[in-house]
Amino acid sequence: MTDIRPIPTLTTERLTLRGPVPSDFEPLAAFFANGDYSWGFGGPLTRNEAWRWFASLIGHWALRGYGFWFITETASDTVIGMAGIWEPEGWPEPELGWVMFEGSEGKGYAFEAALAARKYAYEVFGLSALSSNIMPGNTRSVALAERLGAHHESTYENVSHGTEMLYRHPGPTAQAGGAVS
Amino acid sequence: MSLSIPVLETERLILRAPCEDDFEAEAVFYASDASRFVGGPKKPHETWRSLAMMIGHWAMRGYGFWALEEKSTGDYLGRVGLWYPHGWYEREIGWSLMQGATGKGYATEAGQRARQHAYEILGWTTAISQIDPANEPSKAVARRLGATYETIYNDPEYGDIEIWRHPGPDTIGDGGMEAYA
Repeated sequence: MTDIRPIPTLTTERLTLRGPVPSDFEPLAAFFANGDYSWGFGGPLTRNEAWRWFASLIGHWALRGYGFWFITETASDTVIGMAGIWEPEGWPEPELGWVMFEGSEGKGYAFEAALAARKYAYEVFGLSALSSNIMPGNTRSVALAERLGAHHESTYENVSHGTEMLYRHPGPTAQAGGAVS
Repeated sequence: MSLSIPVLETERLILRAPCEDDFEAEAVFYASDASRFVGGPKKPHETWRSLAMMIGHWAMRGYGFWALEEKSTGDYLGRVGLWYPHGWYEREIGWSLMQGATGKGYATEAGQRARQHAYEILGWTTAISQIDPANEPSKAVARRLGATYETIYNDPEYGDIEIWRHPGPDTIGDGGMEAYA
């Protein structure tokens, strides 16, 4: 038998970041169906496409040893978005990514989840650098990247998404020093 | 979600979990026109996503595509498996061989083993194979497996595709399931 290593669960003050479970498909499909929300994340996608994207998210964990966690609001156990480390073929380097589903914005959740994911990526996955790829015009994500201490380093052509801005995060040492806390 | 992919054997082949090492061969195959009947051609980053998706399919469904290895050489030959992503016509037995691995009866040998797993372990009572109308070599494999043409179906994403129906578990035409033992 070939077994995937267990996907770790992270907790923050208000949130739980955990590996995918089958019931995550519905909120994910709803997110991808709405282009107003998912355009910065490769959407909109049909239900069939969203299912395959979900399957590839699981496979990404198996192939890379890291990937996207689903974020739940711990108090309500509601799925509110995703955050994690994404590096499919063709990506410039491991990316710290995040996305909030409809109705979960404006509460600082993405910041809280991204901070936990970045810390874990440096300390446990052992990554030495992280960037975030943001589509031009995604001002909400730019604001979050800057709040996380990242800066606009370059603009490049992403294999899947076309022109994207690469935001450079502070490295493990700077982060450990509390530069962004 | 757990990921347990059994290893199966036939006389000449090992059926094992897909892994990162299979990517280079699949990328070469999908860059070529030989992939035109199985969703290609694709760019390398798209092929990687497909590989990840195949692994995730196992986690979602409990079955999926195995990678095929030639016992005598350890060479990667392609894949065969059980496929049912969201929106699919029906549960399917699929196969796809790399250039150079065709013409040796490997798809038939592996397809038979995958079908045995579907019937005996998973309890399927029937199975189809979807075949591009112009893919004569694949139809020959289907015939050798005892499958018969049933209908042509216009898939909203992939266009016209032929549905071939496999003999059920009780009507396997080659001596019954004992023949596999």
